Amino acid sequence: MNECILVVDDDPEIVGAIAITLEREGYSVRRAYDGLQALEACLDPAVKLLLIDVMMPRLDGLSALLRIRERRNLPVIVLSAKSEDTDKILGLSMGADDYVAKPYNPQELVARVRSQLRRYTSLGDMYAEGRQGLLVNGRLCYDPASRVLRADGDEVKLTPTETKIVDLLIRHPGQVFPAEEIYRRVWNEDAFACENTVMVHIRRIREKIELNPKEPDYIKVVWGIGYKMEQHG
Amino acid sequence: MDTKWNSTGKDGGENVEYFVARRDPEAQKGARRSAGRLKAAAGFLAFFLGVTLTVSSLGAVGERIAWERDPIPRFVWDWQETQSFRDEVSHDLREFLTIGAGGRADFDNYGYWLGDGSIVEQEEAYRIWWGFGSPATEAVAVDRGIASSESEPEFSDSAPAEPEQDPDAAFRADKNVLYYIQGGTGAERREYSNAPGGKDFFLEAERLRRSSMIDWGEVPREQKEYNFFLTFQDGKVSISKDGQDEDVYGSGFYHSGSQWFVPGYDNFPASEQLSDVTVYMAVRQSPIRYYSVDYKNGGTYYNSSMYYLAQQVYESYDFYCAQAIAFAVGAWGLVIWFLLRKSTAPVNRKIASWTVHVWTEVRFLLMLGCALWAFLPGFFSLDVVYEVLYGYPGERGASFVQWGMAVLRLVTMNLPALLILIWLVWLFQNDRRYNPKEARRSLLRPFLRGLRARELKRPVEKRLSRRAALMALAAVVLCAEVLSILINLTLTGYPSWILWTIYLLPVLLAALAAVALARRELSLSKDLGRLAGQVEAVRAGELSKPLTLPEDADLRKTADDLNDIQSGMRAALEEQTRSERMKVELVSNVSHDLKTPLTSILSYAELLRQEELPPAAADYARILDEKAQRLKTMVEDVFEISKAAADQLPVQLERLDFGKLLRQTLADMDGAIQRSALTFRVELPEEPVLITADGRRLYRVFQNLIDNALRYALEGSRVYLTLKTAEGLAQASVRNTSRSELPEGVDFTARFVRGDASRTDGGSGLGLSIASSFTEACGGTFRVETVADLFTVVVTFPAET
Repeated sequence: MNECILVVDDDPEIVGAIAITLEREGYSVRRAYDGLQALEACLDPAVKLLLIDVMMPRLDGLSALLRIRERRNLPVIVLSAKSEDTDKILGLSMGADDYVAKPYNPQELVARVRSQLRRYTSLGDMYAEGRQGLLVNGRLCYDPASRVLRADGDEVKLTPTETKIVDLLIRHPGQVFPAEEIYRRVWNEDAFACENTVMVHIRRIREKIELNPKEPDYIKVVWGIGYKMEQHG
Repeated sequence: MDTKWNSTGKDGGENVEYFVARRDPEAQKGARRSAGRLKAAAGFLAFFLGVTLTVSSLGAVGERIAWERDPIPRFVWDWQETQSFRDEVSHDLREFLTIGAGGRADFDNYGYWLGDGSIVEQEEAYRIWWGFGSPATEAVAVDRGIASSESEPEFSDSAPAEPEQDPDAAFRADKNVLYYIQGGTGAERREYSNAPGGKDFFLEAERLRRSSMIDWGEVPREQKEYNFFLTFQDGKVSISKDGQDEDVYGSGFYHSGSQWFVPGYDNFPASEQLSDVTVYMAVRQSPIRYYSVDYKNGGTYYNSSMYYLAQQVYESYDFYCAQAIAFAVGAWGLVIWFLLRKSTAPVNRKIASWTVHVWTEVRFLLMLGCALWAFLPGFFSLDVVYEVLYGYPGERGASFVQWGMAVLRLVTMNLPALLILIWLVWLFQNDRRYNPKEARRSLLRPFLRGLRARELKRPVEKRLSRRAALMALAAVVLCAEVLSILINLTLTGYPSWILWTIYLLPVLLAALAAVALARRELSLSKDLGRLAGQVEAVRAGELSKPLTLPEDADLRKTADDLNDIQSGMRAALEEQTRSERMKVELVSNVSHDLKTPLTSILSYAELLRQEELPPAAADYARILDEKAQRLKTMVEDVFEISKAAADQLPVQLERLDFGKLLRQTLADMDGAIQRSALTFRVELPEEPVLITADGRRLYRVFQNLIDNALRYALEGSRVYLTLKTAEGLAQASVRNTSRSELPEGVDFTARFVRGDASRTDGGSGLGLSIASSFTEACGGTFRVETVADLFTVVVTFPAET
């Protein structure tokens, strides 16, 4: 542990708050207050993860991110007061691994940092191996043979029904399943007023796999149509 | 009993009174209505009678005046007051004087020696042909006749000279004119008379006349029937009529205005032959017809001229009086109509509602037919045309009076047809007034409309240029026509150099002007086309390219104005775009600026909560954290709502099942619902209800609505969520009973409005506002209804099939 994390924000208090939270979790923190300082600090190979704000003086976060990506391959979490979908997509497409909107939940932030670090460091080998038949989706890794789901490398304990639902959704990432179909496939019964039942299970799965169950990254509701598993890089 | 009876009677009376009082306004209204109807009918009747009577009476009088060659006095009742009568008497006197002087009466140069009755027939023929009797002078000439036994005209000259007849034989039987003629002296003394009693009749009559003491009632019948007396004595004529002496000679000189053509004037003295001649004449007041047959010599004596003259005068008097009465009645009718003209509109409208069904072509044909019926006989009667063109036959050129008479004859040729024509014109004018053009029927109109529609398909400049070219062509053709007439006249040898000088220059100038104007018109229509095109372009959003027309173009000013409008629109649009962008940027910036400190607050509040604090401080930290959380929600809500207000809310529209969305929302919020003390009554159709919307936004709408219900509904009450489809609309409603009393007249979708004005609950006051904005951004409608404490929100989307 004790990885070094670079926190960049033009607001020193925010940097301070994040630093305290992360240090309490056992990370070491470096601070920078604009894009240029971030570029400089990133040259140090000790820095394992970058938390960077978008709107900053001298050099904004996304431009800094582009330049840093030229030199280094490290997990980057963008922190922004802009919460629009378009902002999120822009950040992710410019090389960010995750996007956290301000005002953030400190616990969620820490969880995301941990998740990113584990994927880049301890789990890197596992992904590199590229084991045959393993379904990888962002933080999630599912083995269809053994029906084991791992999140950030840790096995997720699922009930048999939950496992069936996850099995169905993760095999068809992006595909929308109406509740009736999920019910029919998982319970092998004709669907009748199944929305609540399906939703209850999905909520439980979310609590086990999502970093923020209220704003899930993986199992999403497509309102008025059904449910789907979103594919992450 | 008595009192009881009285009281009931009184009651009854009161009841009746009450009843009448109640009925009264109704009755008055009815009376007013019927009075109005009566007025309308009376007004229209007055109008109809007024026009018909005035036109027909004027027409009849005009017709009579136009056709009569010799005027008969109008409005003279006494036939003896006419010039014809005086001429007749003068003529008779001449005959009597001739007889008195020893000659024979000259029985007219053109007397008809015809058999019995034929002259009467001639008279009747005149009546039939002309509508009135032959003029009096003709009657004098014609009627004076002796039909002799030799009825052949060739013997006519010798007949009057037959010696065995008395000189006054032709007059002997006359009952209308009595005479006593005395001439010569001694043995030569001649006396002729047809009066009963001869000379005494006249002397007695004169005595009666002179004596004012005599009661007219005692006068013998013979004298009473004759009221006109003429005496010729000592070369002078004296006349007495109805006992009054008349002034015969006036100034003493005979001139064209003198009434009596009798000897005795200074310039027309009685000749020597008449020195011893005395003539007494009496004329009957009311002439009669008489016949007397000469059985010895053959022939019939009669002289009806006086009779016919009197009859004509009577008839004329009756005719003019009748027409005057008709005209007066008509004029009064018009006056009445004028006073009531405002109230006749209903009748006119009613008539218009009947005439509207008549095709335009039928109207035209009716009017044309009627006009032909009225005027064509006049045109075909060569007489009228000839008179109009040349005056009377044989005369060259017509005077204005003749002209007017001819026109009058033409107009009054067929009075009934004229009247019908007038009423037809009125009917269709009335129709045009009350019926819109679209309501009128026509066979031709659809055809014309089709033509017009085809024409309208062409661009406006093509239409105009075509019209201008046609007009120029017409002008040139007209000019050519005039020139050809001039050439023709020249070729036929007419002395036409004057015509050439008068007409050639104007004609050529007119042709040139027509061509020049047409060219101008063409350029105008071209400019107009460009202008129309530019208007269309501006409407379509072309705001950068201005329209430049030549400096001297007719539409230059209009084009410049349009350019101004265009640039104004461009400026306004740019301004609007800029302000929209600024608004969104502002909201975005404010939101960012709010979130940055909020992030610090939330972070440190969280850190503070993790510290080991005294219980009171820990409580404070918790409160700080809670309120900061709420602030965070509000900032996010305000941001979204501002974007929605600026129409900048991104929406991803897709087809989705409204029912499923509601089920998902309920399932999603199941935890909160279960925790609440409310019961949800959900009624959703099994089959899919497809709509087009943004699922996430719509989820937010119902999340807010259910949240709202959870927050504000009365504890233990029921919340009703229903979805129905009807008439192509999917309608979802959320109903709940409010916990607190709902204020009236509040727009719940306005921002920061809450049913509870104290604002102490946890809501931001933006929930319904967001729900409303999001619904509308998705293309639905959002409606809040409150009835007492029942709070209902209805979200409606067009349902897809």
